[in-house]
Amino acid sequence: MDPTSSRPAARDRPGVSATPGLPQVLPDVGRRGGAAPATEPIFALTGVQVAYGGVPAVQDVTFELAKNEITAFIGPSGCGKSTLLRCLNRMNDLIPSARVSGTVLYHDQDLYAPDIDPVQVRKRIGMVFQKPNPFPKSIYENIAFGPRVLGMKGDMDEIVETALRKGALWDEVKDRLKTNAFGMSGGQQQRLCIARTMAVEPDVILMDEPCSALDPISTGAIEELMLELKKNYSIVIVTHNMQQAARVSDRTAFYNVDKLEEGKRVGKLVEFAPTEKIFTAPDDKRTEEYVTGKFG
Amino acid sequence: MTEHRQHFQQQLSGLERHALGGLDLVVEQIDRVVESLKHQDVELAQLVIADDDRLDGRYLEVHQGILSLLALQAPVAGDLRLVAALLHVIKHVERMGDQCVNVAKLIPLSGHEPPIDGDILGKIVQMGQFARAEVIQCQRSFAERDVPMAEDLVARDVAINRLNREIFRLALEAGDDADVREWAMIMTMVARAFERIGDNAVDIGEQTAFVVTGLFREFSDSSHVATR
Repeated sequence: MDPTSSRPAARDRPGVSATPGLPQVLPDVGRRGGAAPATEPIFALTGVQVAYGGVPAVQDVTFELAKNEITAFIGPSGCGKSTLLRCLNRMNDLIPSARVSGTVLYHDQDLYAPDIDPVQVRKRIGMVFQKPNPFPKSIYENIAFGPRVLGMKGDMDEIVETALRKGALWDEVKDRLKTNAFGMSGGQQQRLCIARTMAVEPDVILMDEPCSALDPISTGAIEELMLELKKNYSIVIVTHNMQQAARVSDRTAFYNVDKLEEGKRVGKLVEFAPTEKIFTAPDDKRTEEYVTGKFG
Repeated sequence: MTEHRQHFQQQLSGLERHALGGLDLVVEQIDRVVESLKHQDVELAQLVIADDDRLDGRYLEVHQGILSLLALQAPVAGDLRLVAALLHVIKHVERMGDQCVNVAKLIPLSGHEPPIDGDILGKIVQMGQFARAEVIQCQRSFAERDVPMAEDLVARDVAINRLNREIFRLALEAGDDADVREWAMIMTMVARAFERIGDNAVDIGEQTAFVVTGLFREFSDSSHVATR
């Protein structure tokens, strides 16, 4: 695809507002209601391509993500699954050479429209990274930071407790909220990062290999937390652990690397189906080969 | 493919060969019970009963192999379907072996020189041959993942079922001689055992279709059809 035709990341565009005011633009959909059917689409992507420095990393991605579901992105390294995940909350804006084209609708709203504030987008669509990355502050301050920056109203102690409870961490840390977060175990730090994401009351949580640095017990705790959280949130998880995708997700998207001429490679969405289907009877031969380990 | 995955694929293929190899043992057992029936060979029948331990052993080995693969390799997709199908296949193999034992146990009941009705015996031997052919066909269809060949088992099974009904009818018309009637009744039980072996072969055919398509469907609905 001609990189000149790609849409620039919104931060490069004129007219992007840094001021709040997004609530009118991004509807505050009933994320606490839970009454909506599980199939209600939260994201709708059409012909999405992400290119770095004019070279497409992933292209032709079209799918819908359902509300209150866990969607897993799986695929070999370099297939573009993390790149695509970052598209969903405009994290790619932070990479100067990144260009996103195609349509990314979030609750029917174009996420890359000029009047959308990426800060508000990231408040609604939180992200948890591969390696736990708490701030070098107390447990309490880690949670309170986001709400303070966003000027959230309410009793901060209550906000912190609620977030830590959602992160299944409250009972473990309630007596040492003022201690440094670096003193926690890796699994606790990751749950703190999830709780920190919860504190700003998001709608969607994106997780980029959230358990790859954790032991099986911490992984189990995070997975259990994900299943609890999906009652009220929609979750998208990138994982290299196929058993994890099979255990926790409702739907699985398999991405693969297409080898083009001159050694060029580009990620493509191969199959997107209910997780049970992907792991019992996938339609595409490439999916079958990947999940059964017959690739390469 | 990584070496580790290659090893897994070899294990899985080995397990499949071991399970399907059980059908070779079943064919041997069928041959011997048919021979025993033809010649009222009680000793050969005893050998069939003794040799069932080999099939029971095969069942345990395949069963254990499947459990190990599930626990250690977490197979998915086509591999998972194959593992699940093999669990059914080996159960059917073991049941076919049991049916041969059932026949073998019936042979001495009618005495050393029973009043044989040639018409009935001819049909019994034919049933045994048909059952043998079905066992070979189900084995081949599974090994070659040949769904049309697996589906064709239903047509083969119709012939066995017809013979089963004919033998039952002939036994009813066996006359007034108590010994003849007793022998004929025993032959209806033998016929029933061969008929079951045919059903087991069709069931293995259904597993072939499951492995290939990912969908399980019964080839014929015996619960709702009066005759087939």
